[in-house]
Amino acid sequence: MFIGLAALATAPAWLPSPYHLHILIMAGIFAILALSLNLLLGYTGQLSLGHAAFFGIGAYTSALLTLSLEWSFWAALPAATAAAAAAGWAIGRLALKLRGAYFVLVTISFAGVISLVSVNWMELTNGPLGLPGVPAPTLGPWSLRTKSAYYYLVLAGVALAWLVCRRLVHSRIGRAFLALRENEALAESVGIDVTRYLVLAAVFSAALAGMAGSLYAHYTRFVSPEVFLFTYTVTMVIMVVAGGKGTLAGPLIGALLFTVLPEALREATSWQWQMLAYGVILVLLIFFLPRGIVPTLALWTRR
Amino acid sequence: MEALPQHLVNGLVLGGTYALLGIGLTLIFGLMNVVNFAHGEFYTLGAYAAFAALALADVPFLGALGLAILTGVVLGALTERVLLRPLRGESIDSVMLVMIGLWIAMQNTELLAWGGVAKSIPHPFPTAPLTLGPLGIAPLRLFVLAAALGLILGAHMIIHQTRLGRAMRATFQDPDTAALMGVRIARIHTATFALGSGLAAAAGALLGPIFLAYPSMGDLAALKAFSVVILGGLGNVAGATLGGLLLGIAEELGAGYVSSGYRDAVGFVIIILVLLFRPSGLLARAERIG
Amino acid sequence: MLKLRVVLVLVALLAVAALGTGVTAQSTAPVKIGVIQPLSGPVAASGNYVRMGAEIARDWVNARGGVLGRKVELVIEDNKSDPKEAASAAEKLIVRDKVPAIMGAWGSSMTLAAMPKLEEYGVPMVVETSSAASITKRGNPWVFRISPPSEMEALGLEQYVDKLGVKRADFLAVNTDWGRGAITAFGEMLKKKGVVVGAAEFMDQAATDMNAQITKIKGTGGDTLFLTTSVEQITLVLKQAQEQRLARKIVTTGGSSSPNQLIKQAGAAAEGTYHILFFMPWFPEAMPDGRLAKAFVDEWSKRGHPFEGLTEGFRGHDGIATVVEAVRLAGKDEAKAIREALWNVSITGVNGPIKFDKDGPAGKESGQSKPSIFVVQIKDGKVTLPDFVAKR
Repeated sequence: MFIGLAALATAPAWLPSPYHLHILIMAGIFAILALSLNLLLGYTGQLSLGHAAFFGIGAYTSALLTLSLEWSFWAALPAATAAAAAAGWAIGRLALKLRGAYFVLVTISFAGVISLVSVNWMELTNGPLGLPGVPAPTLGPWSLRTKSAYYYLVLAGVALAWLVCRRLVHSRIGRAFLALRENEALAESVGIDVTRYLVLAAVFSAALAGMAGSLYAHYTRFVSPEVFLFTYTVTMVIMVVAGGKGTLAGPLIGALLFTVLPEALREATSWQWQMLAYGVILVLLIFFLPRGIVPTLALWTRR
Repeated sequence: MEALPQHLVNGLVLGGTYALLGIGLTLIFGLMNVVNFAHGEFYTLGAYAAFAALALADVPFLGALGLAILTGVVLGALTERVLLRPLRGESIDSVMLVMIGLWIAMQNTELLAWGGVAKSIPHPFPTAPLTLGPLGIAPLRLFVLAAALGLILGAHMIIHQTRLGRAMRATFQDPDTAALMGVRIARIHTATFALGSGLAAAAGALLGPIFLAYPSMGDLAALKAFSVVILGGLGNVAGATLGGLLLGIAEELGAGYVSSGYRDAVGFVIIILVLLFRPSGLLARAERIG
Repeated sequence: MLKLRVVLVLVALLAVAALGTGVTAQSTAPVKIGVIQPLSGPVAASGNYVRMGAEIARDWVNARGGVLGRKVELVIEDNKSDPKEAASAAEKLIVRDKVPAIMGAWGSSMTLAAMPKLEEYGVPMVVETSSAASITKRGNPWVFRISPPSEMEALGLEQYVDKLGVKRADFLAVNTDWGRGAITAFGEMLKKKGVVVGAAEFMDQAATDMNAQITKIKGTGGDTLFLTTSVEQITLVLKQAQEQRLARKIVTTGGSSSPNQLIKQAGAAAEGTYHILFFMPWFPEAMPDGRLAKAFVDEWSKRGHPFEGLTEGFRGHDGIATVVEAVRLAGKDEAKAIREALWNVSITGVNGPIKFDKDGPAGKESGQSKPSIFVVQIKDGKVTLPDFVAKR
């Protein structure tokens, strides 16, 4: 276990190239996203297919605050998190009466509307032209522009997200989530305020996604409406479900695996086959490990 | 305001095909509980099948349509048998992910096979529009509307008038009793998925000649299909029909009178509103199946 | 804690794997040029045409002995029509494949996303298609563009505005940076010439039904419609405009319309339409270097590539030709040297002369070439030079 931790902590040193570091940074950002989606999907059992909206709101908020209002990154990050959390609260309240497929569709629609707003509201978001030149964060006199520095920032973010999730899950709130997921009627009958907990889950989930969005914006330094692309949400869902929803390690593994996979495919095959291979691998993976990687592994090691 | 009838007509034509897509998906999503992200790919498949039949094999138009539908049905049955049946007990998310994988795989196979260039699907109709006063409608579109309505009617008949339809409704309403009554549950699942996919392929074959065939054409279509399903209520075929027509018209009116950029937002806003005020769909009162 | 252990074990494993693949190949003889294009996703067709053009350029160069006595090798990456992927592709090309120069990335958002990587690692990129003005104005000295920004394109049309008889213009554009940029640029140019600008409608990149927008435009009383979008959507707009009997001049901009494909797929609906292009494969002799243009057209058909793709494929050729020339001038395939050499490049590509002027904030200028701009018309089901052009 310590090998793993040590490996992560010293990654910039032993990784053979900045490209690999780049992959890890992206994996880290997606890990936060996967963890956030997992809160909703894995623990309360509600699937949000609009999660890219929270990610995008976080990214745009952070980018706009640092670009137009010249805020520091360290102020923009919490602001982005808060903005996304507010959106999460709105969705949570909106979807009060809805469950299952209906909730899914509200989230998709919400994401769709936000996406269209970002494309059309030129004055605010610069529309399809996007926001280039988002500044890199600075810590005192040091700029965190270098990859290694940013890697540690993202690593800290992942750790924070994981800790938040863990505390949440192991607390009374977490138990309420599980009750919600397993049997909502029963939960309600023993006095659990279902809507309150759902909204809470949505808020935390969205907040984490917004944080990831901010980290993304300041790393790639270019934000455009493509962050709302459905493929981002799909990727997140893949990471959570394939990794193992309802577990804390699942999203991490899923994020790592599905960030590395497309890049490894870039390496392994020529461009014609990459996406096809990705699709086939996904099908096979779920086919043989329908519960996800972590739960299946846990099952094996228990034998 | 004189443009209103034109908008309505445009909306109806589009809506008819949305309805086809929606009916297919409501069967699969509403009845079988499969979040079928590959639905759009069956739509695309239908278009390419029609293209292959018409442009490459010189099959007459109606025959090509039939061939396209058949392709959808066969591939749908195959998909259910190979991918879905073994996963029947698994959580809805795992199945969803398999369909996502299928979506990616199918779309990129089409890209490999046909290339990214859009294909124009030939059709025998004259291009000059028929005019009724201020309205202009191309003969092809009229045909598409008629065909769509015909297929919708056909689907309704299958579900309500045939033994298969009854078996389907029984299976999804009460599988245990249905099994006791001798219904082959596994077969019904295959048939349902095949029917749904066939309808999607039909929509693709019909819209293909109006628009164009290209690998990513199914993505937007699938999203709209999901909207229609929700609008109409999960598993509610009549609802999906009405929902499809309404969505088509609403989109046209939205794009015409509000803003063309936000055109697709209309669909989304509708969904949100419907879900807020009538979550079980517009025709909530109707029975869950059919 | 078991689960966390699993994660960390996996990380350790991945680390070992990474170290394994980290053994990169020693620098080999060929001169590598990176190519980033959308090879999958909604604009896969265009990206592939550019790739095909690039491959022709590579083969021609190699047939003539390569550059600096070495063969040219293209390392091709797919940006999947996604800016995030464009950035990843750029990183991989630079770090893993160690390319000293790149050509890409087709769409403006993708190019903009990849640009920070160029600066981070100090590798130049020749931009072959993107049209957003900001690309060369951001003060990125590693960017060299051979395609025209929308403003340049609008200027190219200026001389014909009167001859076309444009008095009241409307716009219909795809809702991307390209479409919006075109509307802004052409709108300004037209206003300067005293043309009244009416409606500006948009369509989503994936939209197939533009009837609502066409109905709106019908009501403005304009005489010309400027259309900026991909060839597939142009086909749809033309067909739908015909159905609604929209009777006015139509001018497509952006160079992405492929008149042949329009004739094939839109038929009579395309009759009479004008198109701004950067390459006229029907009249190669009329291009600045007629011989080269003709040879390119011939090679393209020899390879069985669709004729329609020529209007975009040439960009791939010109991009690679530019990079190769820069390598030759630099005397070595090293990124900084190539960048400096790019300022001295003066060749004639399929489109015309390629030579970079300074563009953008002082001290950090990007390079912008001044491409040739052409107008053609579809008449009697064939591509022709409009009267006012031919007479010159």
